Formats: sequence, structure tokens, C-alpha cells
Amino acid sequence: MSAEEKKPKERVGVYVCHCGTNIAGVVNVGEVSKWASDNLSDEGVVVARDYKFMCSSLGQELIQKDIKEQKLTRVVVAACSPHLHEKTFRNACKGADLNPYLCELVSIREQDSWVHTDKIAATEKAKAIISGGVARVIHHEPLEPLHVPIHPATLIVGGGIAGIQAALEIADAGFPVYLVEREPSIGGHMAQFDKTFPTLDCSACILTPKMVDVGNHKNITMLTYSEVQKVDGYVGNFAVTIKKRARYIKTEDCTGCGICWEKCPKKVIDDHFEAGLGYRKAVYTPFPQAVPKYPVIDDINCTYFVKGTCKACEKFCPTNAIDFNQKDEILTVEVGNIILATGWDLFDARRVPNYGYGRLANVFTNMEFERLSNSAGPTGGNIVLRDGKTTPKSVGIVHCVGSRDKNYNNYCSAICCMQSLKFAHLVHEKTGATVYNFYIDIRTPAKAYDEFYQRIIEEGTLFVRGKVAEITDAARNPGEEGKLIVQVEDTLVGKQRRIPVDMVILSAGLEPRYDSKALAKTFGISCSADGWFIERHPKLDPVATMTEGVYIAGCVQGPKDIPASVVQGAAAAARILGKIQQKEIALEPVRATINEEQCSGCRICNTLCPFNAILFHEDRMVSEVNPALCQGCGTCVAACPAGAIAGTGFSNEQILSQIDGLLLLNLNKKEAVPAVLPQV
Amino acid sequence: MTEPVIVSDPPSAGPVKHEDLKLLQEVILRTPGDPGLEMCIQCGTCGGSCPSASAMDHTPRAIFAMLRAGMREDVMKSNTPWMCVSCYYCTVRCPQEIHITDVMYTLKNMSLESKVGGNSTASDFSKTFISLVENYGRSFEIGLAGFHNVKHFITRLPSMTPMAIGMLTKKGMSPFPPKRIKGMDQLKKILKRAKELEAV
Repeated sequence: MSAEEKKPKERVGVYVCHCGTNIAGVVNVGEVSKWASDNLSDEGVVVARDYKFMCSSLGQELIQKDIKEQKLTRVVVAACSPHLHEKTFRNACKGADLNPYLCELVSIREQDSWVHTDKIAATEKAKAIISGGVARVIHHEPLEPLHVPIHPATLIVGGGIAGIQAALEIADAGFPVYLVEREPSIGGHMAQFDKTFPTLDCSACILTPKMVDVGNHKNITMLTYSEVQKVDGYVGNFAVTIKKRARYIKTEDCTGCGICWEKCPKKVIDDHFEAGLGYRKAVYTPFPQAVPKYPVIDDINCTYFVKGTCKACEKFCPTNAIDFNQKDEILTVEVGNIILATGWDLFDARRVPNYGYGRLANVFTNMEFERLSNSAGPTGGNIVLRDGKTTPKSVGIVHCVGSRDKNYNNYCSAICCMQSLKFAHLVHEKTGATVYNFYIDIRTPAKAYDEFYQRIIEEGTLFVRGKVAEITDAARNPGEEGKLIVQVEDTLVGKQRRIPVDMVILSAGLEPRYDSKALAKTFGISCSADGWFIERHPKLDPVATMTEGVYIAGCVQGPKDIPASVVQGAAAAARILGKIQQKEIALEPVRATINEEQCSGCRICNTLCPFNAILFHEDRMVSEVNPALCQGCGTCVAACPAGAIAGTGFSNEQILSQIDGLLLLNLNKKEAVPAVLPQV
Repeated sequence: MTEPVIVSDPPSAGPVKHEDLKLLQEVILRTPGDPGLEMCIQCGTCGGSCPSASAMDHTPRAIFAMLRAGMREDVMKSNTPWMCVSCYYCTVRCPQEIHITDVMYTLKNMSLESKVGGNSTASDFSKTFISLVENYGRSFEIGLAGFHNVKHFITRLPSMTPMAIGMLTKKGMSPFPPKRIKGMDQLKKILKRAKELEAV
């Protein structure tokens, strides 16, 4: 190489962040920045600095000052993951009139200081990472973001309290909402509850006005008894395919008078809304205040669909609104943003055999108890045993059923403590029974929650600290005959106790929807190993996801109570309203492009693209990338056997130079020599 | 309302002597595999499930709290591990998947080595049982009950007569030493090798 060729074309600035002691506690940042200015000058580094917090405004100003004074053409920041601060430093460069894509953020925190304890080796690694960043950034090109318009409509999946709140916020702001709900009515789990903690106001009384608002809102299109089948497109321009199941009711004619379900001869155990404690008819609305008011005919149980005769509902319907020939409809709606608020399923208490649910009649689940206690429920609000008439004289309430247990779910279901305290109050109030609460820890961290706990203690609930070992009807001691015996270690006494009671209520935990993984796939977002959907950032961005334009709210993100679900519904709505107001969205210009001359038309990339962004031109036998759909994932770039596809911002030249840099090959060394790791 | 049945005496109150913060780690290291004992959340599933809890001076959960508190002497003196019948209820139900039964074996070993635990009647019961198995290749219940009670609780013998008669008549147990199993020499070799391997 001649000296002429070696002369660097670009002027690079290197900025090493201490991140307090996050980086500086392990990596010798001073040594690293000195090394960069001493050893990478041939690569174009003209200035290298370290600073306590590069992301602070002072840190950013430092970079901007250098860009202007030192006429920098490239910037490398060695700090945290690009997830966190790539935008920050790109904007800083933009503020100093340097194209933001000429800045490279390399991670010496997540990929170095946080994962190593050997300070000397970590310092050497930081040097290599920076060398790679410098080698790469030289080949960067200035890029401009793509601007696409945002469709003003929003799709909300799930009509529980989180979805309802989000729908009302967006609709009240004047933008159209499609609210999709799988069940015949919106309302979700909250519609099933009796009272709500800690204020004990009636759940239906505070929920149904909101449901009615949704039903009457001119900006909300409710699609109940419907499910999302497919999502195409991208942020700002999604096309969503929705299956609207046949209700067998002409909604334009139905008045919701209720004669059909009154006359329907077919009784079905309602294991959904009434948690198996009550009956509904084959034509039904789940509950009296259902929104919309129209019933559905359950074609699995309807006598006409099973045997071919009956049609009692049709005969008696005063407006001829029954239509047995209705078919499922497939609709496509266009929306700019999506909120997933699909909620949770109840942990199946049968999975804990030692608690006897399903085997011992008077062991109830929390959902069953809600219906028992609800004045609109099957017993008219009387708390009675499974025989339907006996009032219990003693009740045991078991916390943490299926939660905080590595045999079932390892997480805390968040609502069970407060729910169990609420149950204790309701049992006291309605039956005067002796109430035991069996708990591991009482968790009452929100506003007015601990005061509620104290109120329940004051009411005389007997608290036993211990996870219940088993519930049995096998009497061993006098007084246990005919009772359920709760066997538990009272850990505060250090004794095993056997407590005979008439009724046991299991506070079963919250689980992700059984089909949450399939749903995540449909919407292109990720869920945790447990099945809860993953937010963009657990603290700072709890309602967004890693997929632009798809937001999450309520229990779909993790167990939470009604106030927290409402907060998330409103928060997701606010995020989307902000986007809609911008009218267009800037997309990352990181896109794949196909060199038509090199493309052999093999179509391998066509099927691999996860975003369906590649078109095939039959006439010219070449493929082409639609830049609005492409997310820049790089799958096609790697797959193309002809090497005809280049990823903007991820060109072969950039990647290979970065690898050379990491191996310090750019420091005029002939062979690959890894960073020297000293003997410890 | 029936009063709940309380089945054993409370542990004595009073300040903890001899805090030995290495004790928990020692128990964990001496247990084969990773027992996960440091993960105990003190929920009491073990103590609630244990069929022998009524005979224990401390529940297993309390023993784990005592290990954390470094109460070496109290743990070594405790009869808890000796009352364990290895039914594995606690291990199966433990929400933290702690290998509780395995820990009980570790505690038995440590107790035997310690001054306070090595001379207890509970550990001696176990020693007598093992010596019978080593001698006959099988257990000898009446011999075990006889030897143990004559050695330690001679005054209790009259009150135990009905139980002894029951063992002989209803349970059909023989008062005579059992027949040695075939291949006693092989069993002895196996046990000898096992002792060498485990260095107990």
C-alpha cells in the first residue's frame, strides 16, 4: 500500500461514555479513548474523548462542537445498546448538520462492561469494538428517512376494560376506531365481577356506562363475535382481515326484546360468563346489559342446527330478525395503528391436585365466587355451597393458586391479594362466616390498597401465613367430619394446622390467553416464555411493542388490575393520537434493494421475506423490494445466492470492514490477531 | 367452630446464639446436585405437607430459616431430619423446587458428625437400623424397637407392651431374627464400596 492510499478520506470523532460506573467501573475508558486517538488516526480518527454521560445535553454538545470545529464527517459513540440511545446521538449529529446515518453507536455496555468482570480484558474488548465501529462508519452513506402517510383509523382487539378505554379516548378525539371482540358482547372479565377493590363499587355499575358509550359512539365500529385472521401492511397502513361469525340474527331488525331466549327450549351450561354455575339458552346474550344488545345463536347447541327442527325463536320473534342462513363474513379494514388488549385466561385450578378443585364439591374458584356473590348471578348474590342452599359458616380463601410456584406459573398474578381480601369482606358482609385467608405474602402496593387490608383485618378475618399444602375431606380429628380440611403450616407459629371449613375459595392466577402465541405471530410481535406480550421498554415504553404501529394494553402485557389496565388503555390511545396528529411517519431508511442485473429470478427471497415486501416481475423475471413494506431485516440479503441484494446501512462492505476492525486487521497487521488477552 | 388442632410444642424464644452465616452455604455444598435451598421463600408448603410434622420439634421450613440465621447447634440438635420418612411430598410440592428431602439427608450426616447431634437417640435409632440391615440384609422391626428402647427408654417398656403384642399378632411379625438374604457377602461389598465413594 502506498502512503497516498493510506491517507484517510474521512474525519472521525470517537466518543467513549463512562455511563457513570456502568461502563467505567469495568472498562478503563481513559485508556480506551487515548488508544483510539493514538492507534486509529490512520483510519481517520482525529479526536477521541471520554465523558461521564455522553447522552446528557453536555455530552451531546461536546460532539456537536467537535463536528463543527474539527469538521468531523463521521461519529462513533461507544456507549450503550443502539436500542437505547441510537436516536439520541443521531439527532445530536443532525443538530450539527451532519447526516444522522453517518453516526454509529457501538455497545460497550451490554456487550462488554455488563457481561465481563475481567477489567483488563474488557478494556481490550472495548478497543476492538470501537475499532470495528470506526472501520464500519467510514463506509456509511448519508440517508434520508422515508415518509409515509398514516391512516387515521385504529384497530383495537379485545373489548375488555383496557380496549374500551382506548377506544373511547381515540373516538372522543375524533378518529375512527374498529373494536374487535371475540365474544357476543364487549365488557370482558370486568363484566363478570361483583365488586371492585378497594372502593367496593359495583363492577357493572362503573363498566356499563362506558360500554353504552362505546355502543353509541359515532366513531366506533364494534365488531363483536369476530376475530382477526390476518394482518398485512405496516405502520400507518395496515390491512386487517377480520372474520365476523354468523350471529344468525339480523341486527338491523332485532330490537333486543329477549323473546327469543325466553322461548328457546335449549338450556346450556354457561361455562363462560357464569363460570359453569348457571345456564343460558342456545340463543343468548351473555348478560342483561350486553353491548350490543343483539343475541347470538350458538350453532353447536341450537336444536335446529343439531336436529334440523325447532325454530322456536324464529316463530316468536316479533320483528322476524332470526336468519338461520346467515354465513360468516370476511371483512378487510384499513387502519394506521393497532392496539392489542386481549386480556387473560384463568389458571385452571384442576392442575393443583392437592387442592381438590373439581373433585371436592365445595372448593370454588375466584371466578365462580364472583358469580356467586354477584346479585345478577345464578344465586342472586347468595353465597351458598354447591348444593345451592346451605350458607357456609366458615370459609377458607387460598392465595397464590398456580402463581409464584415453579410447578405452575413462576410470576405473581398481582391481583390475587386484593381480590382475596375483597372476598373476605364479601363473605363477612353477606354470611357472617368465619373467614381464613391463607397467604404467603400480602402485596398491597397501590393507592388505598393497604388501608383496605387493614380494614379487612379489622373486620375479623383470620390471617394464616402459609401456602396451603392440601385440602381434603378425609377427617382425622374430632370436628373435621363433613368439612373440608385446609392443611397448612402456620409459619408464624411454626406449626402444622388442620383447619376445618365449609367452603374454600381458590384465588387462581392469571395466565396469558391460550392462543396468545398465535396472536403474537399474527401481529408480528413477540411474547415472553410465559406468553405475555413484550413491551418496547419495561419502564419507559410499556405500551408500545418492537413492531411500529402495534401497541399493547391491559393484561395482555402481564397481570394487572382494573386501574392499571385503564391507565394502559388510555396510554396506548395517547401514543396513537400523537402519531395520527403527525399525519405521516418517518420510516428508517434501512431497506433492501435488488440489483436487477445480478438477479437471476430464482425467487428464493420472495417466500423468505417475513413482511411480504418482495414483488416478482414475471415479464423481466426479476424481483423487486417495495421500500414501504421492507423493514430492513436483512433476511433476503443473506439468502440471495447471487449476492444481488444489498441492505442499506448493512452493505457487505460495511459488515466486512466492521469485522476486520473488530479483529484489528485495519491496524496495518497482516494476519488476524485477536485483541491481546493478558494472563490473569 | 372447632378449634384447629395444634400438634406440637412451639420452639423456645430468646436471642439467637452463635450466628454462623456460612452454615446455609455449607449445607448447600454438602448436598448432591444443586438443592436450591437459598431460594426458600418460607411459604411453609413443606411443613404443611409433612406427615411427620407432629413429631418434629421444628418444621422443615423453620429449619431452613434457622440455617439462614446460622443456628448451627439448634439445627444439629433438632430431631426434624430424623423424623423425615422420605415421602417426598415436600419436594414435589415445593413452589421453589427445592430438593428438601435431599437436604434432610445432608442434615442427618452433619448431625452425626457434630457433638450435639451425634449422641442423640434419634441418630442412634438410625445407626441401629443400619447395623441390622448390614447384618441381615433386610430390616428387623421388632429387633429394632427392642434394641432401641432397651438401650434408651427402658422405663417406657411396660407401656409399650400392647404395641409389641400388636406387632406380633396383627402384623404377623416374627420375634426371631430374620433369615439373612442370599449373597450377604455381595451386599457387604456393595455397602463398603458405597461408603468409600461417599466418604461417610
